Amino acid sequence: MIKNVGITERLLSVAAGAFLLGKTWRRSKGRPIPLLAGGYLIVRGSLGYCPLSHWIGKKNIHNPAINIKVVMTVSKPREMVYQYWRTLRNLPSFMAHLQEVEEKDEKHSRWVAKVPGTDGIIEWEAEIVKDEPQRLIGWQSTDGAIIRNAGKVQFFDAPKQGTEVRVIFSYHPPAGGVGVGIAKLLNPLFKGVIEDEIRNFKRVIEAGEIPTTVGQPAGVRTGKFKLI
Amino acid sequence: MKALCWNGVRDLRVERVDDPKILNPRDAIVKVTMSSVCGSDLHLINGFIPSMQAGDILGHEFIGEIVEVGPEVHQLAIGDRVVVVSIIGCGECTYCKEQLWSLCDNSNPNGVLQEKIFQYPTAGIFGYSHLFGGYAGSHAEYIRVPFADHGAFKIPEDIPDEKAVFVSDGMPTGYMAAEMAGVKPGDIVAVWGAGGVGQMAVQSAYHLGAERVIVIDSIDYRLAAAASHSNAEVINYEDTDVLEVLKEATGGRGPDCCIDAVGMEANSKGVEHYYDRAKQALKLETDRPAVLRQAIAACRKGGTVAVVGVYAGFADKIPMGLFLNKGLTMRGGQMHGQRYVPLLFDLIREGKIDPAFMLTHPMPISRGAKAYELFNKRADGCIRAVITPHA
Ligand SMILES: NC(=O)c1ccc[n+]([C@@H]2O[C@H](COP(=O)([O-])OP(=O)(O)OC[C@H]3O[C@@H](n4cnc5c(N)ncnc54)[C@H](O)[C@@H]3O)[C@@H](O)[C@H]2O)c1
Ligand SMILES: [Zn+2]
Ligand SMILES: [Zn+2]
Repeated sequence: MIKNVGITERLLSVAAGAFLLGKTWRRSKGRPIPLLAGGYLIVRGSLGYCPLSHWIGKKNIHNPAINIKVVMTVSKPREMVYQYWRTLRNLPSFMAHLQEVEEKDEKHSRWVAKVPGTDGIIEWEAEIVKDEPQRLIGWQSTDGAIIRNAGKVQFFDAPKQGTEVRVIFSYHPPAGGVGVGIAKLLNPLFKGVIEDEIRNFKRVIEAGEIPTTVGQPAGVRTGKFKLI
Repeated sequence: MKALCWNGVRDLRVERVDDPKILNPRDAIVKVTMSSVCGSDLHLINGFIPSMQAGDILGHEFIGEIVEVGPEVHQLAIGDRVVVVSIIGCGECTYCKEQLWSLCDNSNPNGVLQEKIFQYPTAGIFGYSHLFGGYAGSHAEYIRVPFADHGAFKIPEDIPDEKAVFVSDGMPTGYMAAEMAGVKPGDIVAVWGAGGVGQMAVQSAYHLGAERVIVIDSIDYRLAAAASHSNAEVINYEDTDVLEVLKEATGGRGPDCCIDAVGMEANSKGVEHYYDRAKQALKLETDRPAVLRQAIAACRKGGTVAVVGVYAGFADKIPMGLFLNKGLTMRGGQMHGQRYVPLLFDLIREGKIDPAFMLTHPMPISRGAKAYELFNKRADGCIRAVITPHA
């Protein structure tokens, strides 16, 4: 028993460490995929454990739809929190993968996203399908989007003060053809990045900025790590 | 500029790195005048805190001068002489607003990653691993300070550098330990560890009204400093049975308040030490909790154990039966420095707490590795070596 607990914890830290390794190197060198693969291989090799398959889960290998759920409490009043999100052009201020969201009218918007690891962009149109002021915003991509996607945000008063925000994003790549390439983008890393970005909503609304270390000085990155 | 960088276990190097820049609107750049070593760095240097990367700049306990401010910094001006709290807080989340700064929701850029291990993210800390944000540390000529209006405090003119530097980290930690231990007038307090943090816990406990404070360590010169500078009674755990001596010294009751100012690298005697070292080496436990075990055992019935010595993960053989049946209270935490700085300035000016004796070794940055070697080996009477990057 005790041993199992120890090993689980160890795996967790290694997985986290590998994730970090990719993240940090991505920042400094801008070539994430090979380095990350390296990181994962190290983990996998040394421990016989594959965080990727752990994170993907067996069933997702056949159905690469990605669902992202984030629940967070923001220490600002519900009206303000709702309004910031409802103003869709604010979304890129906390979600870096979005280059732009253009609001065409009350209901319709055009979204431009960067493709991770490349210079490419993907665009799609979305419409607001539900809008209950101060309570709920729901949207989905309109017909023709390469990656069919939808999202919902709900707002609740937190017990003492502030607002509980529940966010769900889902992405469905098309089957076959071009879809196979696109499907590869929708991997667990993508999921982690989007999750991280959604949570930046809280940082932007509360602190007015997203904490960062990108661009700070460091000594020579010889590649040596202490993961656990 | 020059900076002292981590390059692997017990491998520190002074390197030439870029000067820091303002990256966010609430940042300031501080020219570092003094930057102290701390017991927490030893956990990184000795390899017990995960997520270090070669090239990371160490150091978190420091003072300096503001040389640049971002557009959203309003309380500070260029030229201000400041002490910067080692822990970074946004000042706007519910935790910061409740003065629980080390629990800040927003200051750790790697919060999502840290959450995988701690379940909830905690504050960023300067020079203290990527799990705690990966911020560049203060053993450098300049440092970038995020959320500067909240983290950097102007030092009153009558407080000299050699006192002000410890307001960054060692003093608030010792003070918070005494506060968490619930020290009241008349209490007998036991403090494990006579490093900078333990020394400050002793003085803080007396300030809060303790009748007697007993310090436990094995390093004679540190015990002697606690006795002469802070009026502590001392126990050298090498040549005594700590539990017996504490019991005897407290009329058979045990201390009211017990403070762990040692943490995950505690040494102990005989079998216990080998047990913990082996488990730590095999990663079956991350921490060697010898002091925590002893504090729980020593504490009087109904007493309080406060933990400021750092633990990273998991510890074995914690005597929960004693904890429960003796009805103890246990509290811990990384310190909430921003909450204590104004009070500590007052206590220094009134002469109630005096940290200056802890600065045993001022050293230039070129001798940074040597400073840590002295500190790590407890050599040459070192309590805290302080790097002076511009001297
Ligand atoms: N909670 C916080 O915010 C915070 C802030 C600063 C430091 N810390 C932690 O506080 C601890 C002390 O810091 P420091 O700067 O004084 O460190 P230090 O390394 O200077 O001192 C630690 C002392 O503990 C002694 N020690 C080792 N084993 C012992 C035992 N079994 N019984 C009694 N003493 C023992 C050592 O001899 C040494 O003198 C460290 O764990 C550090 O990481 C915590
Ligand atoms: Zn410290
Ligand atoms: Zn905060």
